[in-house]
Amino acid sequence: MSIETFVQQLDELAQSAASTFAAAADAAELDAARVEFLGAKKGKLKALQKNMGSVPGESRKEAGMKLNAVKQAIQAAFEEAQGRLGGGDGTDARDPEFDPTLPGTARRIGKLHPITQTINELKDIMGRLGFTPAEGPEVEDDQHNFEALNIPRSHPARDPLDNFYLSVAQSQAESALSSDNPLLMRSQTSTVQIRVMENSQPPIRIVSLGRVYRPDSADWSHYPMFHQIEGLMVDKNVTLADLKTVLKLFASNYLGDEVPIRIRPSFFPFTEPSVEADYYWNGKWVEFGGAGVVDPNVLRSVGYDPDEVSGFAFGLGIERLCMIRHQITDIRYLFTNDVRFLRQF
Amino acid sequence: MEPPANASGYHFNKPTTTFHFENPMIVSWNWLKEYVDLNMTHDDLVDRLTMSGLNHEGTEAVADDQAIDLEVTSNRVDCLGHIGVAREIAVLYETPLKIPAAEIKTNSQAVADSVAVTIDSPEHCFRYTARLIKGVKIGPSPQWLQDHLTAIGIGVVNNVVDVTNYVMMECGQPLHAFDYSKVADGKIVVRAAKQDEEFVAIDHKTYKLDDNMCVITDGNGPVAIAGVMGGADSEVSDSTTDVLLEAAYFDQLSVRKTARKLKLFSPSSFRFERNIDSQNLDWASRRACELIQQLAGGEICEGLIDAGQQPTTPADVTLRYGQLERLLGIAIPVDFSKQCLESLGCVITSSDDASVTVTPPSWRKDLTREVDLIEEVGRVYGFDKIPDDVNVPMAASHRPDSDRMLDRVRTAMTTCGYDESVTASLVPQAWSDAFTPWSQEAPMTTSQPMQGVLEEYSKNIGSVNLLRRSLVPSLIEVRRINEYRNNHDASLFETATVYLTKGENIIPDQPVKMACVSGDDYYSVKGAIEMVVASINPAARLSVAACEFDLLDASKSGELKLDGTTLGWIGEVSQTAGKKFGLRSRATVAEIDLAVLQQAMVGIPLHQQLSAFPAISRDFNFVVKNEVSWADLESTVQAAAGDLLESVEYRETFRKEENDGKGMKRVLLSVVLRSSTATLTSEQAESVSGAIVSACESKLAAKLLG
Repeated sequence: MSIETFVQQLDELAQSAASTFAAAADAAELDAARVEFLGAKKGKLKALQKNMGSVPGESRKEAGMKLNAVKQAIQAAFEEAQGRLGGGDGTDARDPEFDPTLPGTARRIGKLHPITQTINELKDIMGRLGFTPAEGPEVEDDQHNFEALNIPRSHPARDPLDNFYLSVAQSQAESALSSDNPLLMRSQTSTVQIRVMENSQPPIRIVSLGRVYRPDSADWSHYPMFHQIEGLMVDKNVTLADLKTVLKLFASNYLGDEVPIRIRPSFFPFTEPSVEADYYWNGKWVEFGGAGVVDPNVLRSVGYDPDEVSGFAFGLGIERLCMIRHQITDIRYLFTNDVRFLRQF
Repeated sequence: MEPPANASGYHFNKPTTTFHFENPMIVSWNWLKEYVDLNMTHDDLVDRLTMSGLNHEGTEAVADDQAIDLEVTSNRVDCLGHIGVAREIAVLYETPLKIPAAEIKTNSQAVADSVAVTIDSPEHCFRYTARLIKGVKIGPSPQWLQDHLTAIGIGVVNNVVDVTNYVMMECGQPLHAFDYSKVADGKIVVRAAKQDEEFVAIDHKTYKLDDNMCVITDGNGPVAIAGVMGGADSEVSDSTTDVLLEAAYFDQLSVRKTARKLKLFSPSSFRFERNIDSQNLDWASRRACELIQQLAGGEICEGLIDAGQQPTTPADVTLRYGQLERLLGIAIPVDFSKQCLESLGCVITSSDDASVTVTPPSWRKDLTREVDLIEEVGRVYGFDKIPDDVNVPMAASHRPDSDRMLDRVRTAMTTCGYDESVTASLVPQAWSDAFTPWSQEAPMTTSQPMQGVLEEYSKNIGSVNLLRRSLVPSLIEVRRINEYRNNHDASLFETATVYLTKGENIIPDQPVKMACVSGDDYYSVKGAIEMVVASINPAARLSVAACEFDLLDASKSGELKLDGTTLGWIGEVSQTAGKKFGLRSRATVAEIDLAVLQQAMVGIPLHQQLSAFPAISRDFNFVVKNEVSWADLESTVQAAAGDLLESVEYRETFRKEENDGKGMKRVLLSVVLRSSTATLTSEQAESVSGAIVSACESKLAAKLLG
């Protein structure tokens, strides 16, 4: 018998067996079919196996592999039918040893930090509103952290005690300030605005997120390192009304429901007018973040003409949003990294 | 729940520091009524004030009065007095503002005959005025004055001191009253303090001054720290009869620095720090004299000692009406705009259809540009009238590749059972020095340490004032904390920046790294890193080279390379290092450079046609010397197997010294062969197997077990 014939017979047998098993209406029929095809003495497969001896020697190995494969396929088809009819022993009796209430096989999946989860959510929302994430360095210079943001030397925010100024030699850390443009850990993500505007032209629509640093002693509501999100939009004819609209969409998106928002006057050196935004939630106004129309001095500092373009910026504290969202009562929990805490989110 | 104080947006007007810096402005309802009619309800008033820039923090009932707590932003020093707040109310409700005339009757004695003032440090003190009241009778203040001060939380002392406080809280100008008889020679000299000069303040504590501070001195020495606190010796007491009244204008930065350095914060320093109105000095001085005379009697000497610079008139500012709509998004009637600016105290110098030019009032130093006037008109008109449903044009945004890469890294790590941590970017010296694989340059130091970020156990480890050069030490500490809390299965990772110094005043390199820590062994952690790499680029080849770090176990560690480039380091923490960190059990750490991963990332994988033909698998059990590494075996097999090789997989290693001899091991591996063009014949498979065996025999002295 040629190898081709042998293979063909095997394929036909496999098909025939599969359809017979599939057609079996009950366990008795299935058992009869099993004897017909897989019977150890008179089964059809056994019969066909005897033909292998007549296959030419050089094809014997291939024939053997094919026979094996078909045998496995028929066996699988039988088991499938058996499963369909409910048990191979022909009865529907339950296995008294099987306990379906035992816990499933444990698989531990780690959790993203709640801060990361909050950041991802905010990035998603801002992305839908057309804001692309932008990044900037955490170690900044005075120029980007203060000067370009219209924060004069006399402003309290520049007090050395309110900032982490930097130097290489430990002994000089205190005198780092004597430099014209000392380095410091950025105290706000607004620095990223400046870097983006320095390197591109309007229209600009970015959102920057990241760590910021202020030397507050850690307590339940303070930590010397925290995270901010900041949005910036600059184009021709961007107004405070655009800001209010975007903030409303942002807040409604974040809270999952349309919420009223309000803006009220405030003061930030890099915006004018400056506002605080609140959203109305559970019967009261909740502080959302600071915002405003980009100050013309900021636009000028990056080479834009404030009579040509205008923009708005807003900044929000991530920890605050995260803590309210998850009802976390102490900011230090976020940075202790006890896995029992982290695994809750 | 109260939201965290420093975690909100950009709060520069409320700097939160280790010092108590916040000093809310509390106004009394009854007191306000002296300057403006209050025909509205309390709730309506505080709502309007909130919506126009004086955020209402709360109100407390005090006797028959109400103490209203308002948040005043740092640009609005004019609202740090009742008149300023009353002016806001007058503008909002379009009612008249009544300001006392502060007219005084003086005697014929010239003040200049009794008092001389010299300013020796004009950089600290811009202007210093003085008046003299003789023959006062010190006693308690009348009830109305006591009530006003008590309502806003200011302690009552005596009629003269109370008046100085009253006038400060009325107009925002701090005043100081000296007992004239204690001012030696009637001579006031404003000068820089001497280094280490000592001064006994009104609180009877001794303060050590430095030469950056400013003091008011008499013929003998300091009688006050300028703008911050008066002295015990010259304070007004029951025996005082003659009062020297100071109304001065000190440099805001000088006062702020002095107050912070001495930790002396007062309503006075708070106001000077915000740059008071020099133009108002004379009014405040007259007003105080008027009240002192009224309450304590005495005679006011004729004239005013006035040293230093005269106040300048603010520069004119022009508002183009069209700019209102351009920036605010709504049109505001011209009449409204003009009237609003006038009622705020601006004087119109010229005006036409398109614009108005005004001279801002001296108390509004924040009004110097057109945009400042736009804000004024806008906020008084009402930001609530600005729509929140305008058509903002659509714009495409995209996710940066770095975000996509970070997502994959985080997903792979969490899938492997690692929880994400976030740790402080600053570390103490001991951690900073513990592991510096990326750079040998010294770390950058901060001007002050982070306070309160160390757990109890690590509290005495040292100042947290160095920018970290690796995330690993911070993660070992996180592992220690969890171990200590019996979270033995804690495996954690973090993605964050490290800071690699490039030189003094040069912004350091700030690459982003991913580091992880686990109580599991080397291979488990390596498996997680392999998962990360596979999720970035399944074809990238991760290899390990020897490395040497005190932190890491001498054997169970290595440098990770991705297609030959250094990706990072991995290793179990050495026993010595583990002890230093306070670990009780094994910990394995790894740190990799995400820039290298980013470089290798396959952003959009392309479909590879699957082979339609069956695979053949072959197992090999080689006996080799211990020194033969898996990497040697793998690469030898790969080279020998050629194109038909689909994969080579490590199965296991075991040792059977009695059969194989000392220093030998058995390595079992599986090879899968497949062709994309045809079913492999057994001859092909045997030929590849043969090639594998002979290559391993010749190159690695391997012996195949039957």
